[in-house]
Amino acid sequence: MAKVKVEFQDIALAFGKTEVLRNIDLAIEPGEFFALLGPSGSGKSTLLRVIAGFARPQSGRVLVDGEDISAVPPWKRDIGMVFQNYALWPHMTVHDNVAFGLEERRLPRDEVKRKVAAALDLVGLTELAARRPSQLSGGQQQRVALARTIAIEPKVLLLDEPLSNLDAKLRVHMRVELLALQRKLGVTTIFVTHDQEEALSISDRVAVLEAGVIQQIGTPIELFDRPANRFIANFVGTINLFAGTLSAGAGAMLFESEALGTITLPGIPAVSPGEVEIAFRPHVVALSDPGAPVERGLIRLGGRVAAREFLGEFIRYTVESGDAEIIADQAHYTGARSFAPGEAVQLAIQPQQMRVLAR
Amino acid sequence: MPSLSMPKVMRLACAALALSFAVPVLAQQQVVIVTSFPKELTAAYKKAFEAKNPGIKVEILNKPTPAGVAYIREAPANNKPDVFWVSAPDAFQVLSQEKLLARIETPAKEVPNKIGNYPINDPKGYYLGQALAGYGMMWNTRYMKANKLPPPKEWADLAKPIYFGHVAISSPSRSGTTHLTVETILQGEGWEKGWRQMLMISGNCAAITERSFGVPDGVNSGQYGIGLVIDFFGLAAKSSGFPTEFVYPSVTAIVPANIGLVAGAKNPENAKKFIDYTLSPEGQELLFDPQISRLPVLPSVYAKAPAGFPNPFTGKIKPKVNFDSDLSESRYYVVSSLFDQTITFRHKELTQAAKAINNAAAKLAGKDQAQAARLLEEARELAYSPVVSDLKARDKEFLALYRNTKRDALKTKQITALEEYWGNTARKNYARAIELANQAAALAK
Amino acid sequence: MSRRYNLPQATLALVIALFLLVFLVVPVFTVMFVAFTNSDGSLTFAHFRSFFQLTLMREAFYNSLYVGGMSVVVSSIFALPLAYFTARFQFRGAMLIQTLGVLPLIMPPFVGATAMQLLFGRSGSLNLILGDWFDLNLPLMEGLNAVIFVEALHYFPFILLNLTVALNNIDSAMEESAQNLGASGFRLFRRIVFPLALPGYMAGAALVFLKVFDDVATPLVLNVTDILAAQAYFRITSIGIDDPIGYVASVIMVIASMAALWGSTWVMRGKDYATLQRGGSSLATRKLGPWQALFAYGWIVLVLLLVLSPHLGLVLLSFSKMWSFTVIPEAYTLDNYAAVFRDSPFMLWNSLLYCGIAAGLDVAIGTAIAYLMLRTNLPGRRLLDFIASAAVAIPGVVLGIGYLRTFRGFDLPFTDLPFVSFWMIIAFAFTVRRLPYALRSCVASLQQLHPSMEEAAENLGASNRRTIFRIVVPLMAGGILAGFVTSFLTAAVEISATLMLVSATSDAPASYGIYLYMQSIVGRGPGAALGVITVLLVGLGTYASHRIMRARSLRFETLQLLK
Repeated sequence: MAKVKVEFQDIALAFGKTEVLRNIDLAIEPGEFFALLGPSGSGKSTLLRVIAGFARPQSGRVLVDGEDISAVPPWKRDIGMVFQNYALWPHMTVHDNVAFGLEERRLPRDEVKRKVAAALDLVGLTELAARRPSQLSGGQQQRVALARTIAIEPKVLLLDEPLSNLDAKLRVHMRVELLALQRKLGVTTIFVTHDQEEALSISDRVAVLEAGVIQQIGTPIELFDRPANRFIANFVGTINLFAGTLSAGAGAMLFESEALGTITLPGIPAVSPGEVEIAFRPHVVALSDPGAPVERGLIRLGGRVAAREFLGEFIRYTVESGDAEIIADQAHYTGARSFAPGEAVQLAIQPQQMRVLAR
Repeated sequence: MPSLSMPKVMRLACAALALSFAVPVLAQQQVVIVTSFPKELTAAYKKAFEAKNPGIKVEILNKPTPAGVAYIREAPANNKPDVFWVSAPDAFQVLSQEKLLARIETPAKEVPNKIGNYPINDPKGYYLGQALAGYGMMWNTRYMKANKLPPPKEWADLAKPIYFGHVAISSPSRSGTTHLTVETILQGEGWEKGWRQMLMISGNCAAITERSFGVPDGVNSGQYGIGLVIDFFGLAAKSSGFPTEFVYPSVTAIVPANIGLVAGAKNPENAKKFIDYTLSPEGQELLFDPQISRLPVLPSVYAKAPAGFPNPFTGKIKPKVNFDSDLSESRYYVVSSLFDQTITFRHKELTQAAKAINNAAAKLAGKDQAQAARLLEEARELAYSPVVSDLKARDKEFLALYRNTKRDALKTKQITALEEYWGNTARKNYARAIELANQAAALAK
Repeated sequence: MSRRYNLPQATLALVIALFLLVFLVVPVFTVMFVAFTNSDGSLTFAHFRSFFQLTLMREAFYNSLYVGGMSVVVSSIFALPLAYFTARFQFRGAMLIQTLGVLPLIMPPFVGATAMQLLFGRSGSLNLILGDWFDLNLPLMEGLNAVIFVEALHYFPFILLNLTVALNNIDSAMEESAQNLGASGFRLFRRIVFPLALPGYMAGAALVFLKVFDDVATPLVLNVTDILAAQAYFRITSIGIDDPIGYVASVIMVIASMAALWGSTWVMRGKDYATLQRGGSSLATRKLGPWQALFAYGWIVLVLLLVLSPHLGLVLLSFSKMWSFTVIPEAYTLDNYAAVFRDSPFMLWNSLLYCGIAAGLDVAIGTAIAYLMLRTNLPGRRLLDFIASAAVAIPGVVLGIGYLRTFRGFDLPFTDLPFVSFWMIIAFAFTVRRLPYALRSCVASLQQLHPSMEEAAENLGASNRRTIFRIVVPLMAGGILAGFVTSFLTAAVEISATLMLVSATSDAPASYGIYLYMQSIVGRGPGAALGVITVLLVGLGTYASHRIMRARSLRFETLQLLK
């Protein structure tokens, strides 16, 4: 399949008085596996529907492979979409479902048969071709929906929360398969989800949406390590946030807050001095017994364990330090030091792992 | 969405529509007959006529007489029916007056001019007599036996208290034949006495049926004991095997059932053919069928009549009344309306009054109670006197009110006011009659 | 999810609107117009004043209301215990009750009325027996009582069905929470169960009232003339098409019908709260105690006997040679059936033709309106739906009168046949009268279809038109079939408009044929025979359609449950 570029230029869409999408500018590179991530109501599904042709923006353009498709009806756009509920037609067999798009393109019968077989083979459902959708499991239905779309070899592949109807284990398995499939086909793919783990694990790049506005576009690591604002920081992974003041000190920037005292920050934060927030991930906080030796340069705090959650790979502690609550994740393995609720602990944080965000 | 505008079914419908356009064009010759006669009669004539005239199709429009008159009146000029064929001569008079009939020549010279005093054919030549009928009473023998009732001989018998709740009659406004029966009684006994008799008989009625057939139908099935019917109903029922008997009372008229050509008919030639056929010996003999049982107008045909079949020409049935059809026509709607307002629609109250009166009379029987008797007499007067006097009934202006069928708001108002008055008066009379009768009954103790 | 409409859709809407305009709106307005104007065209209320001044008309009006209301009451008396038993108790008779729910509906009241006269009339079978043994005579078939009896026996399934569904839809949590707080027995029923079921009941009751109020054939067959529908019919047919009183009666009938319909919808508004919660179950069932069982089964048997009586009577009559003043006919024959097959098979063909056309048009129009309503934002689409549905409140006799008046003077193009004499007018009357049912069926069916089914097709390259063809219509097939069958079967027994519109016997459908047969002395037998044939066809048709729909819906139900 050809790899095409997809661009959204200044898209704005409102339903009546409610603005659903605002000033969306986005360029997706050919062959990218791109995710639209956001909570429900953020407008991500609507954006997907805009490119599919089921939602019309009041302003802006959509370009596919350089061509403006804003005025093209859905059935002529050649953009494949896998729906959240799969939308498999119950009155047709699996084979017929998959053949549908090919038949609409008036391909000769043997070619249709060939392509259907190929698509089913790609998703591993060849033996089930004669079954009806009601006789399939959820995972199988999803794969039929996928096969149906890739059979027509679309320019762009759209996936609308394709995994949300599957159970947890299957979800994890399927996302890997999805990525593998996409790499094999090479088609530009846009993937909508509200699950940040899903988005981060398989996407080349991610755009985070909130309230109809793109908050940040970047690779998964960029989003995780350098969230642009508080929302993203909170949404992508878990984060500790503290308000404070940033000021220029002797040769370095200083962050002052009641909770954490004065911290000298390495490097120059991209944020101007003033009221700011400092953010750091739970896994960068090291817990040790009070009084245990701590590396030089690390920020040291004292506290008491308020709660602990066993999460398998790590234990999540909620530690009360003064007025603040700090979440600290400690890797779990046999022989590791674990703390009980109520115990006094010592926290150590590397300043390089902290980010300053504007308030 | 053109595909949805032409699904298979719609295409079929369009095809059917197109086809049916073709049908009128390709249709054979036809003759359209408006008639109130039942299926047995019309089917027999249709079959016989079509057998004799293979190219002509007989189309029967079966309607009750008043509806038939309305239909001919309403029919647009380019689609008038051809033949009108009903029992009631007064309906023909109405149409003739409104110039809705065309003149026809009398084909059969053997048809006598009159039966009794009544002209068989229209003297002006607008319609012909096709069959004759008398009026009489029909009863269900089982019913009579079960209720221990003696068979009646005269109309007046039906006014007797023993027949309370066992009689049935139709309304003159709904049935041409009933209208004639009522007119016959009115002409035979006079306006006042005639109405009195009608009211008393109606007081004994279990029901005033919607169509004239409802009476013989009810008697056949045993729902009612005795019915006022036209003779062929009674005769046909008996020959069909129903446990019924029929008798002609002495106050009866023999009246023709007429056939006429509608003015501006669509198929006048075919219509004439049909009319001629009904008056031919072959056509007349069809009337002898037990299920039809009507009296032919051709005297010569009676030679072939089944045994016991009544013969109006040799005087076996003696009509006592010389029916005046002009009089009937002049007060056609008045009689109908009066009957409806004071009897049909007030039937419940009337029967209650009759019941109270009979009750009081039974209690007073044999006793010598002057005051009670007087009260009872008064009650009878109230219940059984017509609300329109004989004098009023002759008043030309009064009669003219009902002539024009075009109803504007003023006319409607006048007529409804009048009808309202009659109905209310009747109701009040009956209520008062009940009171007085009950008083009389109380005194009789 | 609304998208813009396109030109073909707008054109289709226009065509449908035109059809409804010509064959529904204009005739009804013609009737109203005559009622409100003088012969010179000026507006007046004088006719209405005259109407209400006529004692007869006032009585007819009250009688109509009385008969309608009492029919609802008697129907409820039949239906309530049955619904209660099914919903409340573990009951083996449930199958029987379901049958009871269908049997009456396949025989139209005017057909059964004659048979019921023979069974329950003053000299009918029952009274003959009672008279012999107890010297008793029950006036079951006198006057208005007769109409109420016959109508209630025919229409109680409407209430039974609605009530059963309403009771079954009550989440057990409602009852359990009340029990948890101390309520039980009759108090529980009165305060919780019945109020929750009430809206469903109201819908059924309104429909029964409506249909009884508008029925003209049953009173005529029973010789009851002092009700509104009969008076309207008489006035127009005997006095003539210019008599305004008949039109006033028609207008009043329309208003009363609409009031009943809107009244029930208004009462129901916002009260559809009995629906089951997700994962909830319906009311708990109990075992029948011995006395309860006796009453329950006893009641069912009684109702069953009553329900079967017109069917039984009709069959007996159809085979009878002579039935006069005896409990059962004394002589039997096959001649009646022979007569029907000899003389009137064309009526059955006519019925097939008219009902087929009507049902076909109904589902075509119904599907189109449903699609326009639910899938486009065409302006005026709701109005189209409203007008099509409003036809249910137009009495048949009013529609007939309207047609006669509106098309008077119109000839069929290219011929000189007046339109009112053209048989197609009967088919159109059927179409318009039965459209509401087909429309509801189509709408319900389309509502169950998730839009993603169509979007997926369009996404894969099917244009709007092809999507409808390949996806929407096949998936709606169950509903479309249901609509077709309902339209067809109910059109087969339509009589009110037919009475007005049939001008030639050769154009008459079977329902008119039955009515005609019942008009003559020797016609009762063949009339009953024709009635039995019609009822059998209707019954078989209903049964067959149920089987087909069950098969289809079972297949597609599962997938429609997603999302």
